[in-house]
Amino acid sequence: MKYRLDEFIGGRPWKFTYDRPVIGLDLGSRASKGVLLTGKDIFVTLIATGLYMQETADELIEKLLVLANVQRSEIGFITSTGYGRIALSFNDIPFDVVTEISCHAMGAHALYPEARTIIDIGGQDSKAIKVDRTNGMVVEFAMNDKCAAGTGQFLEKAAVLLGITLDQMGTYALTSKSPAIISSQCVVFAESEVISLRAKGARVNDSEAVANIAAGIHYSAARRVSNLLGRIGTEPELIFTGGVSNNPGMRHALEELIGNSFIPTTFDMIYAGALGAAVYATQHAARGTAVSSASFDKQHTATTHINELIEQEQRAFIDKTDGRKKGRLFLRLYTAGSA
Amino acid sequence: MTKPMDEKRVGYFCAYTPLEVLNAAGVGHARLLKAGDSETVAAGELFTQSVFCDFSKSCIGGFAQGDPFYSAVDKLYNFHTCASMKRVTELIEGFVPVKLLNLPKLRDLESSRLFFRDEIFELKRDLFELIGHEISDSYIREQIVRYNILRKLIKNISELRKRDNPPISGKDFVEPARAFYYVPPEKLIDTHDKIYRALSAVSGAGSRPLRLMISGSIAADGDRRLLDILEGEMGARVVVEDHCAGLKPFYNTVKETGDPLLALADGYLDQAPCTRMKTLQDNVNFAGQLAQEYQVDGVLHVYLKFCSCYGITKKPFLNHFQSIDIPVLDLSSDYSGNDYGQIKTRIKAFIEVINARRSKKNGSNTICRRCTG
Ligand code: SF4
Repeated sequence: MKYRLDEFIGGRPWKFTYDRPVIGLDLGSRASKGVLLTGKDIFVTLIATGLYMQETADELIEKLLVLANVQRSEIGFITSTGYGRIALSFNDIPFDVVTEISCHAMGAHALYPEARTIIDIGGQDSKAIKVDRTNGMVVEFAMNDKCAAGTGQFLEKAAVLLGITLDQMGTYALTSKSPAIISSQCVVFAESEVISLRAKGARVNDSEAVANIAAGIHYSAARRVSNLLGRIGTEPELIFTGGVSNNPGMRHALEELIGNSFIPTTFDMIYAGALGAAVYATQHAARGTAVSSASFDKQHTATTHINELIEQEQRAFIDKTDGRKKGRLFLRLYTAGSA
Repeated sequence: MTKPMDEKRVGYFCAYTPLEVLNAAGVGHARLLKAGDSETVAAGELFTQSVFCDFSKSCIGGFAQGDPFYSAVDKLYNFHTCASMKRVTELIEGFVPVKLLNLPKLRDLESSRLFFRDEIFELKRDLFELIGHEISDSYIREQIVRYNILRKLIKNISELRKRDNPPISGKDFVEPARAFYYVPPEKLIDTHDKIYRALSAVSGAGSRPLRLMISGSIAADGDRRLLDILEGEMGARVVVEDHCAGLKPFYNTVKETGDPLLALADGYLDQAPCTRMKTLQDNVNFAGQLAQEYQVDGVLHVYLKFCSCYGITKKPFLNHFQSIDIPVLDLSSDYSGNDYGQIKTRIKAFIEVINARRSKKNGSNTICRRCTG
């Protein structure tokens, strides 16, 4: 897909340019997104994340090059983010990694600089991010815990339980007049709630029951996400990014709970992370920073000796039991022999 | 030097155990401080409820699995610090003899000090039963002096980290700190003195790395994930710890004159406080002061999942760091290891936030305060 930058920014100046095209990759748990940025166009593409991150990344790059009709050697910089950001390497193009938190903030900021608070819901996690309006940097963030409540995964599971697609679930939810109450914050428990609600509803009117349950699911997930927002404070303007941002049911539930509406976006915000990565790529290319494995692991010789000393003492502590056991064993043998 | 075969071995968990008394008794002693792997945690969970922290599960799991270091213990002494550890200590009675002692939490009360003195006396009396001879006050006093020397040495080593370019990483600092719990002071003083002198001589040249403090729950032996990420992967430096397996227990010393048991009672109650002690504000203030003293760029406030103390008290800490304008990352952790990626993402994002803040030096107040994960 190709967009002209001015479709989004109008006559506003665009500060994120580099003299060569750059690429931003966002390798998600489900879908991987790529953005190629030239001075005036944005190319986007999306594929399912494969088993091997490097292959997924290579495929994305290949697609972007074809789309933009650009040679690989012309690419000035690649910045990667998301799930598989760590495992990548490119030996022909300068490359670095930035977290998805910073990338989503930057991606949203680049096109919608009025945004101050970002909600990003992806397959595996959800985040609330406060962004500095002057430069797109993250000011504060909160991220969900390792459980799936309030993520795309949760919605996906629920859709399967209802026997409808994820897309259907979002639209269904909007038709509900009395959303079911799903109190569980935990997918496993919510699942059984959905099952029992379904069993009840089936007797009355199936499609209405499904709509109510679908809405209930979205509210349950949205509550979780709005809790995150509570931790950093909600400052309008709000913007919704990530794969779940295209789900109208979720958007509606969140707006209801937060009591605020999201900035309408014409750019598909599933690409916000990849776009942010591409913006970082222009900045890093200009600064000439490539991946730096800044690490401090050389152990000072002064402290190596101490490890040995500790081990020695710990062994001595243990050895004594061995001695005692040997002693006991000896005693037993002795008594057995004399009997 | 190996101990004589018939010497008794004593284990304990908490930094509120007066080592001076144990050492004066001439027993071998060690802090049982291992962070168990998922099997150890699961072994411990058979005895506890799932909502105990992974450290307390590791403690009992170590005994249940027959960890040779834990099994070597002739008697376990533990003070009633938090509810989880108290329960775990009681359960360990099924494996080795246990003596549970009380730790008064209201530090402000005079009566707490006298009460704690009585508990330390009880520890001494019980040790007498274990070893069969008296422990003289003068010998305890001697141990106080020795341990104070060690505490000061460890604190001095730590203070070298106040330099712009610290000569020792956070991961390396853990070693002299934990040696305190395994190596008797008569051996350790000399070693630590050498370490201190060697590190003092390291040139301070080089650039200033990102300086961080780790604050919160215990960082048990083997639980080095955060240090690996921060120092090994991100190139930041942990310059100070506000937890009981880092600098914290060495911050203060024990009075060397007067009744040694009362001095120990005062000394241990007055050590840099743990959130289990009252008032919480003391602890919060100390954490903030430590962060400022070591001029950190940010704080990781970490608590072990389900910890009934640090998990619940985190708010005042986060607010306090925020109020003194130090960015803080709120992180929960366990020993499962399967959240490595998530923790890494949070830390990296936090570092990005700090760097953005640092580069925007002319200080507007829209700057990061708190990040939660
Ligand atoms: S982490 Fe919390 S619950 Fe666990 S032992 Fe420490 S204070 Fe107790």
